[in-house]
Amino acid sequence: MEFREFKERIFAAGQAAGLEEMEVYATRSKRSTVRVFEGDVDDYQVSLEQGVGLKAKFQGRVGYAYVEALDEDAVEYLVAGAKANAQINESQDVVEFFPGGAEYPQVVCYNESLSRVAPEERVAFCLELEKAALAADGRVFKVPHAITGYEEGEVYIANTKGLEQSFSANGAYSYVGALAQQNGQVKSGGKFLVERDWSKFNAAELAREAVEEAVSLLGASSVPSGNYRILLRRDVARDLLATFVPVFSAESVQKGLSLLQGKLGQVIASPLVTLVDDPLMEGGAASAPFDGEGVPSRRKQVIEAGRLTTYLHNLKTARKDGVESTGNASRPSFKAPVGIAPTNFFIEPGQAAYEELIHTLGDGLIIIDVQGTHSGANPVSGDFSLGAYGYLVQGGQIVGPVEQITIAGNFFQLLTSVEAIGSDLEFGSPGVRGNVGCPSLIISSLAVAGV
Amino acid sequence: MLSERVVTDVLLAALSTGGDFAEIFMEDTYNTHIRMLDGAVDEAVSGRDFGVGIRIFQGLKSVYAYTNDVSRDGLVKTAREAAAALSGVPEGRTVVLARMAVEKLNHVRLDPRQVGHKDKVAVMKRAHLAAAGYHEQISQVAINYLDVDQNVFIANSEGLLVEDRRVRTRLSINAVASKGNEKQSAFRGPGRHMGFELFEKIDVEEIARDAARSAVTMVNADYAPGGKYPVIIDNAFGGVIFHEACGHSLEATSVAKGVSEFSGKLGQRIASELVTAVDDGTIPNAWGSQNIDDEGTKTRRNVLIEKGILKGYMIDRLNGRRMGMEPTGSARRQSYKFAPTSRMTNTFICAGESTREEIIANTEYALYAKQMGGGSVNPATGEFNFAVAEGYMVRNGKIAEPVRGATLIGRGSEILQKIDMVADNLATGQGMCGSVSGSIPADVGQPAIRVAEITVGGRKGAN
Repeated sequence: MEFREFKERIFAAGQAAGLEEMEVYATRSKRSTVRVFEGDVDDYQVSLEQGVGLKAKFQGRVGYAYVEALDEDAVEYLVAGAKANAQINESQDVVEFFPGGAEYPQVVCYNESLSRVAPEERVAFCLELEKAALAADGRVFKVPHAITGYEEGEVYIANTKGLEQSFSANGAYSYVGALAQQNGQVKSGGKFLVERDWSKFNAAELAREAVEEAVSLLGASSVPSGNYRILLRRDVARDLLATFVPVFSAESVQKGLSLLQGKLGQVIASPLVTLVDDPLMEGGAASAPFDGEGVPSRRKQVIEAGRLTTYLHNLKTARKDGVESTGNASRPSFKAPVGIAPTNFFIEPGQAAYEELIHTLGDGLIIIDVQGTHSGANPVSGDFSLGAYGYLVQGGQIVGPVEQITIAGNFFQLLTSVEAIGSDLEFGSPGVRGNVGCPSLIISSLAVAGV
Repeated sequence: MLSERVVTDVLLAALSTGGDFAEIFMEDTYNTHIRMLDGAVDEAVSGRDFGVGIRIFQGLKSVYAYTNDVSRDGLVKTAREAAAALSGVPEGRTVVLARMAVEKLNHVRLDPRQVGHKDKVAVMKRAHLAAAGYHEQISQVAINYLDVDQNVFIANSEGLLVEDRRVRTRLSINAVASKGNEKQSAFRGPGRHMGFELFEKIDVEEIARDAARSAVTMVNADYAPGGKYPVIIDNAFGGVIFHEACGHSLEATSVAKGVSEFSGKLGQRIASELVTAVDDGTIPNAWGSQNIDDEGTKTRRNVLIEKGILKGYMIDRLNGRRMGMEPTGSARRQSYKFAPTSRMTNTFICAGESTREEIIANTEYALYAKQMGGGSVNPATGEFNFAVAEGYMVRNGKIAEPVRGATLIGRGSEILQKIDMVADNLATGQGMCGSVSGSIPADVGQPAIRVAEITVGGRKGAN
């Protein structure tokens, strides 16, 4: 059934049930992934899925319901469910539905030529990826992950205040993970790529980066505990930024769960730091013409040369603060209520190449991976203590790999202690916390626990 | 949910290109989620997940497809699309279905779909009041209520046809304590494979007060010292160390491909002889229990380690082929959107003979991890990390000052060898375990154990 037709039936049934406002958020997507192991396709997946979420207002309060099967029962289930859920809602917040008639930016989210890449080509790419990783270094003994996927989807939003918008997006991704062995020690390295342009998928290049990392860690040992000057490689800096994304949400601020409360207009970071949220970015995995409430997308600086300029808002938090929505309402899926998330969210790159940063670091540690960001980091306090590995640097030169250490610090202190920013901005895999990117960062000091 | 005629048509379509095994997993699941912040419900969602996953094997190759289009034609089309990824001719298999009866290990008395929202909210209010009223430093309390009613239908080309229902109910409590600019939070999340009768079995107020106590203790604590020294990990959710550091490496998902540090080590000593560990999906009404797994195999009690010797792995059908071993009732998936693979159910280290008090009294200097947070592991290298949610220093046989911000890192294989005391207070805790086949409910557990040394990450220098 078409979303438009299904929406009409929901709105009719909802009006009969006394619902005051209704908004339908629906998605449909098609995915295909291939995984290769030991020279053969070992896993192949295809899917076609859809779902419809209903947000409805009853006696001024909001309730949600969703379905995946668009059958006869679904309309009744959605209306009754959303109404029952609205009836127990005790929130005093006024919830607005964004009216139709706004102007929307032109954003390119779909690449026609990517959609025409045959599944066989992705299979061939994956086979090549595994082969290239195994061939790249004699110490590589296994490639447990050689994966390539493609996804395309449509987002549709319509409400009883005249809003009706949709857009389509697609993207491809690939991941390769390699294991290297030497003197009984096993090390892993991996590389992930998300792109909308198939010509950017270079199997040899991806495999080389994964293998270089695994091999470079062989022979790693721990270092004495203490405070070290730190170079956070771009992917680690990004993981940390992504972990602390909730502190920029106006919802966290209003609920007293962000230490950025009351800091608007103040200096919260090194003057080198400018943090941007750009849903209009060309090629951005999270680019979109509108947000999860149908509000038009726009670019904004969240931190401008160290100064906090705005929080990320949806309609509800903006109304509370007496500002305009920043267009950051998120719907992680049709199942999830409206929240707040960044889109393409990144620290603006500086001038120095990664190699120059190693030189600038002088004596210290380069961190190339951290583990446990979901458990060892507290977004409320900003404290983190994470398993890590990387390289020891002396006199501006890498002298050896380091393992079995933890780095500990505080995100807010880290923002103020950024000494240098690389030119190597890179994005990771987009998730519910947005599509986060970061260049490599030199941090004046972090506590390291080792031996 | 599907007629035998349709099932047969779909399975034959799936086998049309030379597949040697095909499976249908159909799911109709009702979910309720209510969130309460500072005593007022501010979000409630209910939903119905409905779809079908089709899986085909050809030797060690696996193809998976899923769809929400559950009409006969939609399913046959999806099966053919999946089959197109394989190249071969049909082997002329026939499918003769035989319905399998399910032995019910997990009885549900109060169907959560028949319980009104008001009763659910009332339980949440009790939890809120107990936590919020515990101490003036408690600045915020978030309560979440969840119930899931999953109805599955599994059929395969070997003739299996089976249906099962899994009902789970959970309450989670997150208490935040504040002191000046500092905030610390504590989480408790009791849940069972049962209905609303959960709230007759647990003491909601006591659990909520315990969360509040933990948050208040931590906000007033100093940072833990970093370094390598002994660690005592208490029971229940403390078992997350075994789950992360060893359990994942015993899943066929990583063992079969030879990427686990425990691959090829059956019969060998991999742990201190004080360690016996089990994965048991048959414990009535436990959070990770199921009558059958997500391939339709009956769940069972699998001994993983007995007195330090590796006895078994957790094995699903496909990896069983790779390993030449029988499946162990361990195949699990979040939903029809995931191909199943071997996962844990209720996993724990069995009780030992010391008491917790004896362990502490016999320890000169250590970190005592009373409550663990979450963690993760790299199955290839066995390197794990996890957070200590509530910690104390032990000095001269006594529990001394509370400490916060500690992280434990190390290798599973090393930790197992270094367990030198095991207490008798086995208990379990509930978690959601994320891995390749999605996020699934799993119990972790252990008695209090002492590990001779672990690298502790912390913000203070070692002392």
